[in-house]
Amino acid sequence: MIGWARGRIDAFRGRGAHAATVPPMDGALRPNTLLEESAVLLRVAAPDNLVLYRGKVLFSSGAVIMALDLAGGVASEWRRCAAEVTALAVAGDTLAIGLADGTLMLSDGIDRVVTGLGPCITSLAEDGAGRLIACIGSASNPASDWKRDLLLAGASGSVWAVSLGDGAVQKLAGGLSWPAGAAMAGERVVVVEAWKHRLVALGAAPLVSDLPGYPSRLSAAPGGWWLSVFAPRNQLIELVLRETEYRERMMREVEPDHWIAPTLSPAADFNEPMQGGAIRTHGIVKPWAPTRSYGLLVRLDGNFQPVASYHSRADGRFHGVTSALQMGDRVLVSSRGGHAILALTEVQP
Amino acid sequence: MASDVFTRWRYKLVPDKIVGEILSKNWVDNAIPFLFLLVALAVFGALIPNMFTAGSMSGMTRTAGEYLLVALGLTIVVLAGGIDLSVGSVFALTNLSMLALGGVVGLPWGLAAVAVLVLGGLIGLANGVLIGYLRLRAFLTTLVMLIICRAVTDTLLLSWSKDISSVQIASPVWDFLAFKTVFGVAPSFLVAVALAALAHFALTRLRPGWHILAVGGSRRAAHNAGIDVRRTVCLTYVLSGILTAAAGIFYAARLASLGNDTGLGLEITILTAVVLGGTSLGGGRGSVFKTVLGVIIVVIITNSLIRLGLRSGASSLVLGSILLVAVAIDVRWLKNRAKLLARSYVSPTYFALPPLQKVSRAPDTPYAINDLLSAAEPIGVGEVDGPEDVILDEEGNLYCGSRDGDIIRFLAPDHKVREVYVHIGGATLGLAFDRDGSLLVCVGGMGLYKVTKARAVIKLSDETTRSWLSIVDDSRMRLADDLDIAPDGRVFFSEATIRYEMHDWIIDALEGRGNGRIICYDPRDGSSRTVLSGRQFPNGICMVPGSQSFLFAETWGCRISRYYYDGPKKGRVESVIPDLPGYPDNINLASDGNFWCGIIGMRAPAFDLAQRMPKFRRHMVMQIARDQWLYPNMNTGGVIKFDLSGRVVQSLWDGVGERHPQVTSMREHRGYLYLGGIFNNRIGRYKIPGADPDWTAAQAYWGAKR
Repeated sequence: MIGWARGRIDAFRGRGAHAATVPPMDGALRPNTLLEESAVLLRVAAPDNLVLYRGKVLFSSGAVIMALDLAGGVASEWRRCAAEVTALAVAGDTLAIGLADGTLMLSDGIDRVVTGLGPCITSLAEDGAGRLIACIGSASNPASDWKRDLLLAGASGSVWAVSLGDGAVQKLAGGLSWPAGAAMAGERVVVVEAWKHRLVALGAAPLVSDLPGYPSRLSAAPGGWWLSVFAPRNQLIELVLRETEYRERMMREVEPDHWIAPTLSPAADFNEPMQGGAIRTHGIVKPWAPTRSYGLLVRLDGNFQPVASYHSRADGRFHGVTSALQMGDRVLVSSRGGHAILALTEVQP
Repeated sequence: MASDVFTRWRYKLVPDKIVGEILSKNWVDNAIPFLFLLVALAVFGALIPNMFTAGSMSGMTRTAGEYLLVALGLTIVVLAGGIDLSVGSVFALTNLSMLALGGVVGLPWGLAAVAVLVLGGLIGLANGVLIGYLRLRAFLTTLVMLIICRAVTDTLLLSWSKDISSVQIASPVWDFLAFKTVFGVAPSFLVAVALAALAHFALTRLRPGWHILAVGGSRRAAHNAGIDVRRTVCLTYVLSGILTAAAGIFYAARLASLGNDTGLGLEITILTAVVLGGTSLGGGRGSVFKTVLGVIIVVIITNSLIRLGLRSGASSLVLGSILLVAVAIDVRWLKNRAKLLARSYVSPTYFALPPLQKVSRAPDTPYAINDLLSAAEPIGVGEVDGPEDVILDEEGNLYCGSRDGDIIRFLAPDHKVREVYVHIGGATLGLAFDRDGSLLVCVGGMGLYKVTKARAVIKLSDETTRSWLSIVDDSRMRLADDLDIAPDGRVFFSEATIRYEMHDWIIDALEGRGNGRIICYDPRDGSSRTVLSGRQFPNGICMVPGSQSFLFAETWGCRISRYYYDGPKKGRVESVIPDLPGYPDNINLASDGNFWCGIIGMRAPAFDLAQRMPKFRRHMVMQIARDQWLYPNMNTGGVIKFDLSGRVVQSLWDGVGERHPQVTSMREHRGYLYLGGIFNNRIGRYKIPGADPDWTAAQAYWGAKR
């Protein structure tokens, strides 16, 4: 009874569990401009999911898989697919390609098609034992409609194991809030639950929770992992997530590009919502201004705890980081919202 | 939508903004005790017959007079941050002393009274020296003084009571004090009220009173300000002692009583009255009026309880409970008032804008976005701070306002040399030249000012008629924004909002209510009066040449209208553009007979929706930090040119929003357009293709040469 009353009071006053607060970027996540100031390898429209396949750096851009020439800083079309590529992964000699139409292609010279995973393949990862781990963000919304899934508080995502040998699929977990990345750590399957801002090991307690942004793909780093964070959390968005009536009307009456929702790219359209702290004053936007897009790459240690981070802040360009690829002492980063592939060089361990 | 209709009427009929406006008033501190008084009157008036007869009231004034005297002393002590618990036994001791000196010793009653006042003062002085100079704890010291005085009284009573009770003080004045009334009011009450008025005057108008409040507010700050804190504290206890002695004298006259329960528990009663009135136990906050209120409540309650037949113990219980509640309210109120005010002042209401026109970079709409203004050459980058309006004189010198209240001038011809033309204060906003070349300025936070050619600053207007039903004082001008001058010299200027100060002007957008007005200043008699009220951030006043009307923009309403101030259509408002896709600001003449209008930002569909959902905005204001609030998108702006029929002829934008993200003002001058922006650090100068290279606004408006 008291708990219920407290809940009602908190809901009215916006406190406790109903507080529209956002964890501060502090400790290992303290803001810097390392990502913003890193070298631009390539300018390309919406680069996504970097992988290293047979010695080549591949990345997806729309329906095209491009090959990046590291020395020349140019990219060439490597393969064109039937639909937009939503995820890539490499397992030995096999390249796995997730498409927006729901098909998963396993290609090692010959293409094999795996079906039955649903239309929202957000991320793929090998498990080192002849299987792929596939993240399905949502049972109802396609990968491109991630904003809608967030605003609907979607929790219909699932994680599957796909046998590389015969293409058999097996569901590992369901009811997840937009699983957007996965990694195999020893015997554990670690999954990123984007809408809950956390990393969970399947069947265990969360490894990291309450991140200040929406995390996505994981990739290997020396002695740890790279975690891409594709959008920041924001008090106004947290509020909108709690204001059911407003949220529903907004989704009904306003175009998705103009929603109060996270985005991958820095604000560009004058019809987008603006928050008070983001008014351009004396010709500049403050780096700490409230923002719906952000560039953040987090270095995790072997236990998935953040140890370092690389930022492009509210006034920066390279927002919407969706993947990272360790290449010797360099790290390639895809800034999907900044339309660029970056190379971080001075990477602290 | 049905829900929209409901929401609209709900917010039309229930004026939520009143709560915040009342909370922002200083007198709101008195509201709780006043309500309490009304409740007490209603309850006891209903319970007790004959409660409000003249006789009953007259009786109450006797008690009230004595209580008020003691309470005045205690108020002064509490205001200085102390407490005096000894009042009850000092009251008893002075009562006894008066009867003894006047009766047994046989002093004339006046001399005896003076001696008793001195005695009270000496006891107070003892308290004061111990607490003020020796820095003992007020609570303990006065508690000990309470015990000492009580003990002395009891001892004296033992040995003297027989002698005293057998002798009467014989004097007509004494009898008058004891038994007579003046128009039904006891003399003690009259004296107390007179002293209360004096104390009020002293506390609010005189140096010693200010010192007391300052010491109570912050001892350290008062000390640093050079106030003798120790002497001030000591003085308050002396005053308390003297006033208590005065009460004792009146009590002696009234009852000539030697009961050993005289003044027992009085300190609790008086403390209840003081705190209930709203004087804070923490010191520094409170007033004599509050104490008067508290005393009246306490007297009514104690009197009523006695008449209801409650035992005296029960009466103390009730008073004690009230004291507890009053202290609790005092503490919570003091702590949370500012927070409550900050949260409840913003009061959103329902507001639906007309449908948003599609605006894009495609050149098929009159508002088509382009980047022409990003090519404007900059003037004074980093040398200006928020030039809301810009204006040029006949010689081509460029003037602009600033956030910190300067008028900045850039000298012709190249506008490279900057000088502070004059400093006014406030935030200098709208500018206009009058017939003889003086510069008229709307100053946010101050009003309408004039700067003569000799750089003398003259206040023209800072108040207008106060509307009867407004709770906030709307006679003073909070945010005079833009102006223009009619051919007959009358100045029409807008006050953008009456609910927010200059630094909070954007918050007005979140309310969606017509908080602004247009005021006419008449130089012939120096009067100002409101001609249009209830407008949404009115702005951009611009006379229409050859007619008795002017154009004005309503920024948050996204519309431009025309108002007739004279002639056959006098008093009428006609819509010119009802549905702009952005937020209009200043309007000025163009050389081709059309009008320029600055656009400070664009409508965002998510914000438009929020304007139709006041509850959402209210939650936003309550729950998230201010810099996170949703505002109109002010990072893209530009200039449009329109004619009187409302047709948009041309639009110039800074689509990238790097150099001129918000355009609040623009002036055409000899073929160029000069751009100002309230958040900008520069003035822009854009060459208008094909514009008349000789045209100046001053000539167009006031004639060729003056």
